[in-house]
Amino acid sequence: MRVVIAEDAAIFRDGLVRLLEDRGHAVVAAVADGDALVAAVAEHRPDVAVVDVRMPPTHTDEGLRAAIAVREAHSDVGVLVFSQYIETRYAARLLSANSAGVGYLLKDRVADTSDFVDALTRVAAGGTALDPEVVSQLLAASNRTIETTLTRRENEVLALMAEGRSNAAISQALVIGEGAVEKHVANIFAKLDLPVSHEDNRRVLAVLRYLQP
Amino acid sequence: MLNHENVVVKTSAWWRPVLKAPVARRTWAATLYMVVGLPLALVGCFFAVASLVLGAGLAVTFVGLPLLALGGLAARRLGAAHRALARVLLDERVAAPPRFEWTGGFFGWLQAALKDGPSWRARAYLLVKLPVAIVTFYLTVLFWVQGLVWLTYPIWWQLSGPGRVPEDLLLDVRVLIFRGGSYDGRFEPHQYTIRLTDNSYLDTWPRVLLVSLAGIVCVLAAPWVVRAVTPLERALVRGLLGPATGPARVRELETARAQVVEDSASTLRRIERDLHDGTQAQLATLAMTLGQAKEKLEHRPDVPFDPDGALGLIDTAHRHAKEALVELRDIARGIHPPALDVGLDAALSTLVTRSAVPTVLNSDIPIRPAKAIEAIAYFSVAELLANVAKHSQARHAIVDALGGGGMLRLRVSDDGVGGALPGGGSGLLGLADRVRAVDGHLDIASPPGGPTVVSVRLPLHT
Repeated sequence: MRVVIAEDAAIFRDGLVRLLEDRGHAVVAAVADGDALVAAVAEHRPDVAVVDVRMPPTHTDEGLRAAIAVREAHSDVGVLVFSQYIETRYAARLLSANSAGVGYLLKDRVADTSDFVDALTRVAAGGTALDPEVVSQLLAASNRTIETTLTRRENEVLALMAEGRSNAAISQALVIGEGAVEKHVANIFAKLDLPVSHEDNRRVLAVLRYLQP
Repeated sequence: MLNHENVVVKTSAWWRPVLKAPVARRTWAATLYMVVGLPLALVGCFFAVASLVLGAGLAVTFVGLPLLALGGLAARRLGAAHRALARVLLDERVAAPPRFEWTGGFFGWLQAALKDGPSWRARAYLLVKLPVAIVTFYLTVLFWVQGLVWLTYPIWWQLSGPGRVPEDLLLDVRVLIFRGGSYDGRFEPHQYTIRLTDNSYLDTWPRVLLVSLAGIVCVLAAPWVVRAVTPLERALVRGLLGPATGPARVRELETARAQVVEDSASTLRRIERDLHDGTQAQLATLAMTLGQAKEKLEHRPDVPFDPDGALGLIDTAHRHAKEALVELRDIARGIHPPALDVGLDAALSTLVTRSAVPTVLNSDIPIRPAKAIEAIAYFSVAELLANVAKHSQARHAIVDALGGGGMLRLRVSDDGVGGALPGGGSGLLGLADRVRAVDGHLDIASPPGGPTVVSVRLPLHT
């Protein structure tokens, strides 16, 4: 996996580079601001970019804006946005265009290195990786519209789908059979009125429906 | 503290101050103030009248009100010049009124400028200053010049024997300054003689010396005349160019409060930024490194078992943990320096030893100031020392902190390149605002080439 990293805190950036290279991935560029990220992605065409939300010069949301710019210019490049805290609106902005190949994680998640590398791999492959924190906040925000139509169990399954988990991972997390998960997923697709198409695409669409009340 | 062995009780003779007054620096500074004041007052008054008449006259057109507003802001500038003159020559330290601030584009600016109290008071100052300046100038110059001319009358009289002094020079001198005397052109042998009445001239040596004596009295009296009229000038500067009283004072306090609120908000932002960019990133990296190390020891299918690699990572993590501790301590110190609990001089001496430029601290604070004042004093000195390190290229700096008379006086001086200005990224404006919020005062003396001396006066208690 070829990775570009945009993170202004040098210590954290170096740590990421070390971790990913240790796992056999190639960090083709490690930059410290949004403009440099856009340039580096255009130059290296990586599989995925890891982007910190807050970077110079204003330390607000330039990372997010750069990430959206990258998504618009190169739809094949996955973007995993890192944040110190969860801002629901940021997540919604990031996901509004196309949630395939997008991730939004709390920085703390790097503590569980394998989970983080898995999430990054998923995003690079065109999947999604949403922080459970994001999911629960968005769930709270979209309660009114979806909770009425989905059962509690279906909500749980959808939340895990939003995090980017596979059916097998969902069955493990909820301690139910994989067949049961498939049934719930099918019910969700039906209730959210999603057209029959590629499974992955429908999952992404379900997540999108779920996120946008 | 008094050293009793060195105290000499002086029974100063009454004439000593009288003789010293004409040569005292204070006298000459005040005299200079009156002399320079008149032309400045003329210009100012003309400007104030012109801008008022023009602005009001054109008020029905589009340019009138902006002109009036601009005039007010320019009056503020002129007021600042008068204030500076009073500070330098009269040692009258009047705090500047709050800065002119506005929001919301041109009309916001216009409205704020037209309602700006300090501008209107500066205009009032310029208008009132002229008559006052004429009187004080006249009295000052009259006593000094008349005194000096009378004092030297014997010389003039003696020199102006027939043909010794050019006639036109004498005429000039006479016309200019001899208001009481006149010369009818017929008198011989001395061309330059004071006439008392039609037939009575001061033309004998006893009379001439008497005039000289009158001159001495005049010169000795001049300093006291100058000192007698300066309070009027001082009151004018204090009353109209300083911070306002009454309702205006309330508005000013509101501004100060807004600045304090804004200031504490920006402090919180800075702390959040420090925590975000520093400590949080360090701790996240630490967690990541430890997670990576753990996986190397877990015999996982996807990560090879590698105790040496894990040890290296733990070593890195250990280092990060220590760095995070240092960073946290610095941030905590930035919020509230623990040494301040002991006392301001303790905190300042810690600060001084940590300064990048070698710095000496002289502190004598017998009465402990209020906690808020101590904190403002501490952060003022911290910021000023940071400025010294950043901008001054100084090799040495001195911090003085003296308490007494209900005031805390801080002074940070350095031997650097000078040229420190409020604004220009030095943070001096923000510092001045913070100091003013507790009715303190900040003074900058920093000529190009140095040295720079920044003085801060704070009340001991809020």
